[in-house]
Amino acid sequence: MSGELYACVHAAEFPAQALLRLRTDLQSQPIAVLDGPASQEVICSLNRHAVQRGAVLGMTKLEAESISGMQLLLRSSEVETAAHAVLLECAAMFSPRIEEVSEGTACALALDIAGTERLFGFPEKLATRLRDEMATAGFRVSVAVSAYFHAARMKATAAHGITIIPDGEEARSLEKLPIAALNLTEEHKETFALWGIRTLGELAALPEVELVKRLGAAASDWRALAHGVARHAFQPIEPEVALKEFYDFETPVEQMDSLLFIGARMIDCLVARTAGRALSLASLTIYMELEGGRVHRLAIRPAVPSVDRKFLLKLLQLEIGVHPPQAAVVSLTLTAEAGQSSKVQLGLFAPQTPEPSRLDVTLARLKAIVGEDRVGTPVLEDTHRPGSFRMEDFAVGAKSSALKTERSGMALRRVRPPRPVRVVMRAMKPVAFNDGGSRFEIEAAYGPWKTSGCWWSLDGWDAEEWDILAANNNGEKFGCLLVLDQRRSEWRLEAFYD
Amino acid sequence: MPSAAALRIEIERALEHRFPAALTPAPKTIREVAPTGIRSVDALLEGGLPVGATSEVIGPESSGRTSLTLKFLAKRTEAEQVCAWVDAGDTFDPESAAASGVRLKQLLWVRCRNEREVTKAKPWTRLDQALRATDLLLQAAGFAAIVLDLGDMEPAHAMRIPLATWFRFRQAADRTRCSLVVLGKTAYAQSGAEVVLESTPFQPEIVGGTVWSGCTFAVGRKRQRFMQFNASARKPPTSTWSAGAAWETGRSS
Repeated sequence: MSGELYACVHAAEFPAQALLRLRTDLQSQPIAVLDGPASQEVICSLNRHAVQRGAVLGMTKLEAESISGMQLLLRSSEVETAAHAVLLECAAMFSPRIEEVSEGTACALALDIAGTERLFGFPEKLATRLRDEMATAGFRVSVAVSAYFHAARMKATAAHGITIIPDGEEARSLEKLPIAALNLTEEHKETFALWGIRTLGELAALPEVELVKRLGAAASDWRALAHGVARHAFQPIEPEVALKEFYDFETPVEQMDSLLFIGARMIDCLVARTAGRALSLASLTIYMELEGGRVHRLAIRPAVPSVDRKFLLKLLQLEIGVHPPQAAVVSLTLTAEAGQSSKVQLGLFAPQTPEPSRLDVTLARLKAIVGEDRVGTPVLEDTHRPGSFRMEDFAVGAKSSALKTERSGMALRRVRPPRPVRVVMRAMKPVAFNDGGSRFEIEAAYGPWKTSGCWWSLDGWDAEEWDILAANNNGEKFGCLLVLDQRRSEWRLEAFYD
Repeated sequence: MPSAAALRIEIERALEHRFPAALTPAPKTIREVAPTGIRSVDALLEGGLPVGATSEVIGPESSGRTSLTLKFLAKRTEAEQVCAWVDAGDTFDPESAAASGVRLKQLLWVRCRNEREVTKAKPWTRLDQALRATDLLLQAAGFAAIVLDLGDMEPAHAMRIPLATWFRFRQAADRTRCSLVVLGKTAYAQSGAEVVLESTPFQPEIVGGTVWSGCTFAVGRKRQRFMQFNASARKPPTSTWSAGAAWETGRSS
């Protein structure tokens, strides 16, 4: 017993798996991935259904198109990078020491799992959990566990499902693997073919001294590999945490449903990866590459970090509804920021307030109805300009001070935009005004109250305010605020007292 | 011949799949009330506006309905509760609200937009927007008070709101313990309202003949569910209250 233990994860046909990971609707169909320069594209990766239909690697696009029902996708390095990051992150949940052992179009990772028995149980249990975790992330992988690095690597490459190689059984476990499992040169492959050596078992049976005499020192390493006991200096990589998902559409997408279908799967993956680190999603940024090269950017920032996928998807749907892309979408990228999960201590005597996540959805819906800039909390500006305020996002929990006043204030109801009126003056006082439709007799006018400011800038103001008691044609009295804009020499009806 | 009670039971049984207890009067509900912050009005309402029900504050322009409602919101926000103002006419004045003591950070303001201004969103009318917004806020729960401001809406338009909408609002308010206050020129919610307060035109308070320093308003209880009215009284009970000009109270910090 060496004291070492390795688990190797092998995702075959990675270009196809990376593309199909977010497209659950295509997973049951024959798919081939094309690579190469235009007009010389060949199949570089394909799924099980495509193999059953007769597709093979290296087949040209024309040949592949002749197979009925075959779906052809273009290879995307960005999709593969994003998928690789996800694979690495899943593996990092089981061990911090990971070495990349990818070859060709397969993606493979070797994990140093020595000493993890108390965390994850026996190797069988760990391998099952590892495979399930990868399946949740959208990958079909084979897993092999062995005390020897190369034994696990080669077995994972060749076998399907889960293989546990017992200590001392490495040679027997690898004996049926083809000699191609070793990285041999063409010359050596030919030599072994001439000798009639086709499997690792046959190679392992050859005498070591005679073999080294004929093929050199490297033959000793091959024999050790064939026995499954070759030593390896582990070179761990540092997995970079990047909460990013990318999907490149085959054809530009215009319908929101299609975007949301992919977006939902991306959110699922991001949520799973974030939850695996005991964190929540604090914000989501969506980049849509549009036809013509422009990029449409949207941002979602829930009031509290969340891992509720339905809630996040609803926010995404409402955000896209309010800010729809102006052209068809070519690719979709979701990046996320992680935050601490919210912990709120509720109290029996605490005042009732809206639930933050529910309020987020409500606010998004309200913005979809009345407009984004018309929902929020009013904040008074630090100025003497009458009626000045700005809108800010509404947030539960924001506390503010207020005036303590025993007497109630007489409220104004603003007229937005202020209504221009014609005013009849007598003895420097307004006596009647006309708003274009009706004439109002003024019973009493109190003023003028002069106000001015920012005279040095274009948006300065210089006005006279009059408190007016007037009556309409029906004899109903009302109070209002008339303002004479001195800069423009025009009267406006600004507000009603109520 | 069957007795009236037997007949009633028979009819109720026949209709029970559509209307539970169709002919049985609803049991009297003693509701929690929230004070408006104006002593005379609270005395008139025997404590304040009901919680978990719809109240209407009606009257013509300059009758003090907005001032009364803002004072009510000031009391609610003072208790660290969250309120909303659904502004169908976009007439809400934040300065007046702050001067009345409303904590603006705890107030959600929904400004309905004239359909001509709407570009991307669906071209709903302001009334539609206000009703949808109120519905969403009531369903969201957690708001202590929601004001549906139809103060500038012509009664001919607002009267078209179906009674079913008001009943739905009443049910939602009851479920979420929210005080829904409807501001309008006349009563729209009819039997959907728990209380209807009618404000009548004001009497200005003039200082020295040159300064308008405030108003005295009269408010009457036009309707209150389960309240025994004095049949001998010719007019519904009323009271008066006064409000000062905003400059008297200054601005909020």
